[in-house]
Amino acid sequence: MPAADQRTPGARWTPFLFLLPFLFFLLLFWVIPLVGGIKMSLQANGLGQAEYVGFAHYKALASDGRYVTALRNSFTYTLASIVVIVPLALWLAHLLRATFRRLRPVMTFALLLPALTPPSVLAVLFLMVFHGKNGLLNQLFVMPLGLEPVSWLKDPDFILSGLVLQAVWRWTGFMTFFILAGMEGIPRVYYEAARLATGSRWQHFWHVTLPQLRPVLLFVAVYLVVDGFSLFSGAFVLLGGSGGTADAGLLTVTYVFQKTRFFEYGTASAISVSLLPLLTLALWVALFLRRRTA
Amino acid sequence: MSAQGKTVRGALSLLLLGPFLMAVFVPFLWMVLGIFKTNAEFFQPLTSAFFPAHYEWQNVVELLEGKWVPFWDVFGNSLAVSLGQAFGAVTLSAMAGYAFARFTFSGKRLLFVLAVALILVPRQLFAVPLFSWVNELGLSDSLLGVMLPGVVTGLGVIYFTQVFRQVPEEYLQAARVCGAAELRVFLTLLPLVWPALLSYGMIHFILAWHEHLIPMLVLTSETKQTLPLALAKLYDVSQRTPQGVQMAASTFAVIPTAVLFAVCHRKFKSSLSDMLVH
Repeated sequence: MPAADQRTPGARWTPFLFLLPFLFFLLLFWVIPLVGGIKMSLQANGLGQAEYVGFAHYKALASDGRYVTALRNSFTYTLASIVVIVPLALWLAHLLRATFRRLRPVMTFALLLPALTPPSVLAVLFLMVFHGKNGLLNQLFVMPLGLEPVSWLKDPDFILSGLVLQAVWRWTGFMTFFILAGMEGIPRVYYEAARLATGSRWQHFWHVTLPQLRPVLLFVAVYLVVDGFSLFSGAFVLLGGSGGTADAGLLTVTYVFQKTRFFEYGTASAISVSLLPLLTLALWVALFLRRRTA
Repeated sequence: MSAQGKTVRGALSLLLLGPFLMAVFVPFLWMVLGIFKTNAEFFQPLTSAFFPAHYEWQNVVELLEGKWVPFWDVFGNSLAVSLGQAFGAVTLSAMAGYAFARFTFSGKRLLFVLAVALILVPRQLFAVPLFSWVNELGLSDSLLGVMLPGVVTGLGVIYFTQVFRQVPEEYLQAARVCGAAELRVFLTLLPLVWPALLSYGMIHFILAWHEHLIPMLVLTSETKQTLPLALAKLYDVSQRTPQGVQMAASTFAVIPTAVLFAVCHRKFKSSLSDMLVH
């Protein structure tokens, strides 16, 4: 780290000059609302209520079956998205590298289209894939196999899989792009060194590509965790803010939305705040893994 | 590898990629074709009526004339909010990233951790307190109330910290020897890192373009709406908007981000490649 600050007098506050605009907006639009949220979670429900109720909302959550369902669903949804998307994106990136160079940009772009599309549009397109009997999934895959058409967004056994598929459809191309960029940044020397030592392609992938891609993969995983636990769009646009039949698709963020809609601001804030330790833990694990393997 | 082996491998990968490309592309094709369909055609099973019987531009005309939503107002609002937010986010993050990368100061680690933590606390979770605070600031139903909260981004700060770390020290020394003030040094560096500025601006533009929840809470009057809100209104069953109009609006909503990405794609990827590994 260059020590630029010893050179000129008055330079001690120079870095803060650069940080000032950021810190100002950070305080204004993050810290204040966050503190407001924590305060709200300790107050009674309802508009304009300011009666202090302590940890009552949190205690109520602990015995709230729907909260537990929402947490469990979010957890499954996030884990399943990561488990499907990361290997798939790795494979697609590999295929893109192997295919004709000329076609690569066009194909990367095509794969990325869903990530460039506003979530509400995405939902409409996605409904076409899922929607009842006439959807492509049923018409092309389920019915030709002689099976009953699946009602993807109504049948509680399939809702969560439907949501995961939505995440896969939306994000895989985006993650492929990042992984591809990462792969292209790996110095050729590493592969040449590996070629002298060992033979197979698989070993190259395992011993050179994968370790080099660690930062990219961490980014991808963290992004998906945040998306799974707190982004509004995915589940909202598909299920219209409900949890689906028997709450099978109820995610934490949907639950927050429902509470907000009925002006149960205290409870809604308590749910939000209760997720913070979880998200922090996820980040900590990610950083820990990074340090350990580095 | 021989040239022939390369061709075989290329063709084989193409074959394997095919289904994935189809899965992504077919829905978009269906969307664009949907512009020309009547409602009756639209609701037929996909496999029997994928292409419209006639190609007429009526639905596009209706949309652009503002028969269903004040389209140009809405489109302009979205553009203004997203551009403003992207510009603000790039400016703030680049400055903060420069400070983190190039100076040592007390409290640096704490501030950096705070920036990282930002990524994990999505605004959506605290939408209600944010909304009431925006109201208190007198920004309710104004585009600024949507634009300003979005200029703070943890991802941006981390990105630019990494970017400025990679600028060779010689450039800085050269600038400093000339006696330039630190702000001047920063400004002279900007042309050097413009692919990074452009890349992050693009990412942020896309995120802002998609934002739904905050605009929904803050904006109330019809001419102040952004595109996702107008789309939600068009999709609403009770509005009885023709499906073709809905598809036209959807297509127009995808075009700006798609064009932006197509234009910046190469710069973005090389700037990522430089940074992601190491």
